[in-house]
Amino acid sequence: MSAARVAVTGLGLVCPLGAAFNEQVAVLAARLAAGERALRPHPPLAQLPDGGLAGVVGALDLDRFLLRRKDKKLLARPSALALACAGPLVSAYPGDRRELALYLGVGREPPDDGESEATLALSARDGLLDEGLLAGPGRDRYPPLLPLKTLPNMAPAHISINLGLMGENAAWAGVWGAGLLALRAGLRAVAEGRAPAALVGGADSRVDLGSARDRLRVGEEGAPAEGAALLLLEPEAEARSRGAKVYGWLVEADPAELGAIDARGVNIDQMGDLGAAAAPVAAVLALCGDRPRAVWAADPGLPALAVGVRPDTAC
Amino acid sequence: MHSPPPARRRVVITGIGAVTPHGVGVDACWAGVIEGRNTIGPISRFNAASFPVRFAAEAPEPETLPEVPPEVAHILLDLKGRLAAVAAAEALAMAKLPPLGARLGVCLGSEAARPDLAELAVRMRSGELPGALELDRMSPAAPTRLVAAMAGALGPMSTVSTACTSSSQSVGEGLLRIRRGEADAMIVGGVDVLVDPIMVTGFSKLGALSQRNDDPATASRPFDLHRDGFVLGEGAGFLIIEDLELAERRGATILAELSGFGCSCNAYRITDSPPDGRGAAQSMEAALEDAGLSPEDIDYINAHGTSTPMNDSSEAAGIVRALGERAAEVPTSSTKSMTGHLVAACGAVEAIFCVLATRDGVMPPTRNLEQPDPACPLRHIPNAALRGPVRHALTNAFGFGGSNGTLVISRWPGASA
Repeated sequence: MSAARVAVTGLGLVCPLGAAFNEQVAVLAARLAAGERALRPHPPLAQLPDGGLAGVVGALDLDRFLLRRKDKKLLARPSALALACAGPLVSAYPGDRRELALYLGVGREPPDDGESEATLALSARDGLLDEGLLAGPGRDRYPPLLPLKTLPNMAPAHISINLGLMGENAAWAGVWGAGLLALRAGLRAVAEGRAPAALVGGADSRVDLGSARDRLRVGEEGAPAEGAALLLLEPEAEARSRGAKVYGWLVEADPAELGAIDARGVNIDQMGDLGAAAAPVAAVLALCGDRPRAVWAADPGLPALAVGVRPDTAC
Repeated sequence: MHSPPPARRRVVITGIGAVTPHGVGVDACWAGVIEGRNTIGPISRFNAASFPVRFAAEAPEPETLPEVPPEVAHILLDLKGRLAAVAAAEALAMAKLPPLGARLGVCLGSEAARPDLAELAVRMRSGELPGALELDRMSPAAPTRLVAAMAGALGPMSTVSTACTSSSQSVGEGLLRIRRGEADAMIVGGVDVLVDPIMVTGFSKLGALSQRNDDPATASRPFDLHRDGFVLGEGAGFLIIEDLELAERRGATILAELSGFGCSCNAYRITDSPPDGRGAAQSMEAALEDAGLSPEDIDYINAHGTSTPMNDSSEAAGIVRALGERAAEVPTSSTKSMTGHLVAACGAVEAIFCVLATRDGVMPPTRNLEQPDPACPLRHIPNAALRGPVRHALTNAFGFGGSNGTLVISRWPGASA
């Protein structure tokens, strides 16, 4: 059986410059091409040497995608970004969303919102952890759902739960390469027919103080940033038969190909370092370009990965 | 350039390695579960005297560590790294792979390592921050890089992080990569170490842990009417999987065939499983279809069986939904009754138990299963191992957030202990 050609029929981008979906992405891409910058002083990072510049996403439209509004408190930042990005794409998908596969690149275990620090503060005696205090007043302050909020796979979990996706799924942890693993898994699953369609991409947030300090400590370039990007993939024949707009295609590619885009540095001076979302953001933007590109990335100590992006002229 | 995928390749298992609460090495771990031996006891890693849950299934500290390249030696400072190194070394030694370079990949299930809590408390006072090497070893990809460096692997590498499904999915991803021609062999598996004060605090507040402090040995009792939660465990499990043609060409000892993989999402709730077991059923059905098998072909199920009231009844419903009438006939057990819940490592460790069940014709029991819950109408293996041929075994792993993974392991003709 020959592999199906994999068409991109949906684009979602939630980044420091704003949120855009499908045709709107071209507008955002044009703003980037014109040199617009989205880095701003981020008060939680003010004590850092560079003055706390970061690429922070503005208010997210989440309420209309949450089955239960009270679940908002369960959303760590990457989960919120991912859900805000997935919602419009899945809502517009006319097929059976229960069959949609979901492959997502995520960063490290996302930070909590200070909940564990409160527990630790109540659990320390003379600068040392006191297990008795942790089991007493510290434990009292520990939110029961915190371990679940900070699991790396919560971003795809919230998409699945709130939007009804039941197909194949996986989440890869890492830095810039994680998003590429997701793109490649989706490309192959759709090409082989393992999944009738797939939502693929990445979400990451690195703008909390702990993550930003960690980035400085390991010498990562650029300002910390956050974002999410997703692509809806379908076999081209099916997409055409339902009259879907095709923005381009994902194809196999080699990192050494000409025209390669290093996801790690994509628009880094304008939006910051998007971590696990960087490669999907680069792929979405490349689909608004005028020529095929190979998006690649290599995480520290790991081999380079790449995926090819062929834009259609429609975007 | 990536070469086009060849016609579907068959994938076989030629090496296994494990560290579980039963001991270091596959033989010790397998003997422990076949004998139905308990490993759950008082927590020794920290003073848990005032904690609501004071027991766990701790992994033993390996007495010797394999030599590893200097650039990854710092990863051994974490227990997680040490367990991964020892289990991977055992699997590699068994498989005796030739140097494969870029045709050998690594796919592991793991989570980010957590900073030591006592160190965190000190840092809160001093303002001192972790150094680059510490951050590096806390990266979720640290065990992946460690194992790749040990094996000289230069092929595809990834770290799957889907909670308790992580290593089941890592085995499945390795299978797909070999079938697709991206690699000729893969090191797959997982590692997890969660017996720390914050995890015990968090999971006990969540109501997920058994509270049988008075009798920890009976705390993990999957499918029993009186189960009250899971028991945190620790461990690592690794499998060497390779293209059948490569294994035959090099005269490798084949332990079993990795014949199917399926996965799904529940689309239900973060902590709860759907009572009708729909997502679990979908995962099992997908794995059977992938393996080209029907329910009649399955002779043993190693269930996820966490011992939480909700998981076990939901999983049983899923098994009934996926296997129909056959669900009442297939011997089913949960080894978590003895090892506790190895979280990101459970899928790989339990896949290893299935490899050995097909090889040896022995199915491990569910310890502490005294009064089967009528809501779990399966053919259980209570308290003593069951002997009988296992043509194909199915193993489930389900994670918080509703991700499900199922593997099918098939007996290899002539495989023997």
